Amino acid sequence: MHALKPFALSACLLALPGLASASALTVYSAGPGALIEDLAADFSEETGIEVNVFQSTTGQVMARLESEQANPLADVVISASWDSAESLHEEGLLHEYRSPNAETVPDFLKTDHYVAQGVSALALVWNRNSDVPQPNDWSDLTDAAYHDQVTMPDPAQSGAAFELISGLLTAMGEDATWQLMADLADNGMLVPGPNARALNPVLQGAKSVVFGAVDYISLGQQAEGEAIEVIFPESGTVIAPRPMMILASTAMPDEAEQFVDFVLSEQGQARVAERYLMPSRSDIEALRPTIEELTLIEVDSDAMNAQREAILERFREATGS
Amino acid sequence: MAARLALGLPLRLPRITGAGVVMLLTAAALLLLVGLPLLYVLLQAIFPGWSRGELSGAFGLFVPLLSDPALLGLLGNTLRLGIAVVVVCALLAIPLGALRALTRVPGGAAWDLIFLIPFMIPPYIAALSWMLTLQPRGYAEQLSGLSASAFLFSFSGIVFVMVLNVFPVVYFAVSRTMMSVGGRYAAAARVSGAGGWRAFWRITLPLSTPGIAASLLLVFALTIEEFGTPATLGAQAGYKVLVTGIHERFADWPIDIPGAAVLSLLLVMLAMAAFYLQHWLVTRRSFVSQTGKPTAPERIELGPWRWPVVGLFSLVALIAVAVPILAVLATAFTGTLSGGIAWDNLSLRHFEALFANRGGAMQALSTSLGLAIGTALLTGVLGALVGYLVVRAQLRGKGLLDLLSLLPNTMPGIVVAVGLILAWNQSWWPIQIYNTGAMLLLAYACLLLPYPVRYASAAFRQMGESLEAAARVCGAGFFTAFRRILLPALAPSLIVSMLLVFAIASRELVASLMVAPAGMRTVSTFVFGQFEQGSPGVGMAMSAVAILTTTALLVALTVFSRKKLPIAG
Repeated sequence: MHALKPFALSACLLALPGLASASALTVYSAGPGALIEDLAADFSEETGIEVNVFQSTTGQVMARLESEQANPLADVVISASWDSAESLHEEGLLHEYRSPNAETVPDFLKTDHYVAQGVSALALVWNRNSDVPQPNDWSDLTDAAYHDQVTMPDPAQSGAAFELISGLLTAMGEDATWQLMADLADNGMLVPGPNARALNPVLQGAKSVVFGAVDYISLGQQAEGEAIEVIFPESGTVIAPRPMMILASTAMPDEAEQFVDFVLSEQGQARVAERYLMPSRSDIEALRPTIEELTLIEVDSDAMNAQREAILERFREATGS
Repeated sequence: MAARLALGLPLRLPRITGAGVVMLLTAAALLLLVGLPLLYVLLQAIFPGWSRGELSGAFGLFVPLLSDPALLGLLGNTLRLGIAVVVVCALLAIPLGALRALTRVPGGAAWDLIFLIPFMIPPYIAALSWMLTLQPRGYAEQLSGLSASAFLFSFSGIVFVMVLNVFPVVYFAVSRTMMSVGGRYAAAARVSGAGGWRAFWRITLPLSTPGIAASLLLVFALTIEEFGTPATLGAQAGYKVLVTGIHERFADWPIDIPGAAVLSLLLVMLAMAAFYLQHWLVTRRSFVSQTGKPTAPERIELGPWRWPVVGLFSLVALIAVAVPILAVLATAFTGTLSGGIAWDNLSLRHFEALFANRGGAMQALSTSLGLAIGTALLTGVLGALVGYLVVRAQLRGKGLLDLLSLLPNTMPGIVVAVGLILAWNQSWWPIQIYNTGAMLLLAYACLLLPYPVRYASAAFRQMGESLEAAARVCGAGFFTAFRRILLPALAPSLIVSMLLVFAIASRELVASLMVAPAGMRTVSTFVFGQFEQGSPGVGMAMSAVAILTTTALLVALTVFSRKKLPIAG
């Protein structure tokens, strides 16, 4: 038995290939994974600064930041929810920085403490092989033709879906929005969880339409040959900018600022565009419809976030989820 | 609690000898590995501001959270699910295990390997596979026109998928226990005039109670803490449990760690209740059946019953192993999900992406395998020692150690992960292990230690103390007795539990997501990332490679040491 012990210990040590090196920049990023990996590799190549990436969902990234508060490790954080940046800022956790490369980023996509890496929009995603006609607007899905054929990401678990509800409340007013939600629920709409879980049934064809999918994922899948269409409703949709920020606790502020500069450089923004996101800089070409081409609903996010709990409660009531 | 225990141990040990020192070290390791993170979760639940270093508002969360009427529903759902899975598992796996142990099932040891595979399929992948198979336009409908989504997205569907995931725990415990109880007592009963069935019901089954009860307890604990299946199927079935409630607090912005910690304590209490029930069952009487007298494993010939029995084993293997694996392969080998199963949709592009090492797929695989081997060895050694300590050592507080070694099994992985982060991400540790791969090893060892401990303590309970006494009389010290007498007798159970640990550690998801250091990926975090970002094909390709690799490793191990491994039977 005891002969085993040193063996066990050495096996354990062998199992730890990457002891994180202290001189590397640590970046926590909500998806897309391929994007942050490309950005990190390009950045390392250009500056010689090593980058350690933790890539996950916004919820996971935030949970990790929260539980690491005693001894924060991240230098740069990229989230998929603008509000999360705002609330980190309110807690005084963010480092103030305005990148010189952010000049052509529209004002509503930058503050003194955070700036958009890229922007996604919310859309309808329709399976072309399905038996239902192509929908063109949010309210089309209350039609009996779409009975039991619609999914929607849960606004409690997807910041983007919450943004969509906020947008609809702004554009249509409370009564009409909740009536729409109730009608959709009556029509058998399923609210299965975060984005991917709403999208997967539609890909295989168990369901036919996603109400409020994050667009870049679906655009990427379409490019890979999935038989889906991404439809931006004529009545308007909302955008979900992806805030990038430096934590005030960073031990490497200069390197962190360099990283932010790099993501906002032409090269970095081209990488963002490759993943079917809208680049935050208005002078970089996108591979998809941009803010100028979409009908957007102006949302007063601060006011909506103040009532977040009430809105989610009302949503659960209306959809019975 | 920790301090009192640590102080209490040296005073109460029988002898300050080699044995005493080992026991002390074992207790210390257990406290460090399990006690520390749990302590931090407890502190977080009591002091909502703990993670920020504040002590204000102690117990402020308990009343509002516990008086929430929705909580009672979650608690009821959790209990109902746990009990249903335990009952169905018992009905399915006890007969299978008994047949395997007591009769000559054609195929013998091969079934053991086959039934280990469900354990290597991550639960959320299994749930997803069933969804892809049974939902409308799923693989079953594409191939045969059948869809059973009404069944799958219901309480029965959730129980069905979870049973298929965890029944091997009971199968292995039952077959190993009954093999070691052996035919001798049953033979004695038959000599005394009992029929075969009577001998089984009155002798073999009751003597196997410790192993069966321990494995059913594990199943209960696994079920109430499992996240993947309830999250995947439960959301559509409208069936919410405590764990999904805990996860919502982590995934929904703003994050509510204190609230999650309070709910976790509830889960822990549920599991403690189950633990005491099991404890009462197995300590009420003596189950000593291994006295060191030679036993000739005598197995019943099945005769014409051979074929129905093989049919039963095949049916279970088909449903528990073949269907999920085929669904994984179908998704991995088709170009697009919307294209379905069709020749022109056959594609290797997901595997090409994988082997081009996009996203560090190959490193993820080797990291997971290395960690799984390390965890199996670490928990195997520690589990044998803790099992011995709990069953044999005469010391106060050993019940507490027993409980401590079970608790991780009742804690959702995410809570253990948060406890570990809170405990280890402190600047005052002399060596910083946070944000290194060691955190993953700690997390896996903490979460999986209960398996070797359960299996080992059940085995020790069946071993007569006379064996050890005899060794001592012959002049053997503690180490010699442990190595020469106890370990060989323990080996069958311990090795099976280490294989289970290996299988689970190679695919653990929830804690890995939380504590994997920046820049390090495991198989499961890689697969999860692929699903999140809309590449289910690549995710399934990785799952297929991982399942194949771990299975191949186990087969190689078995063939390599056929004589030593009980699994080769």
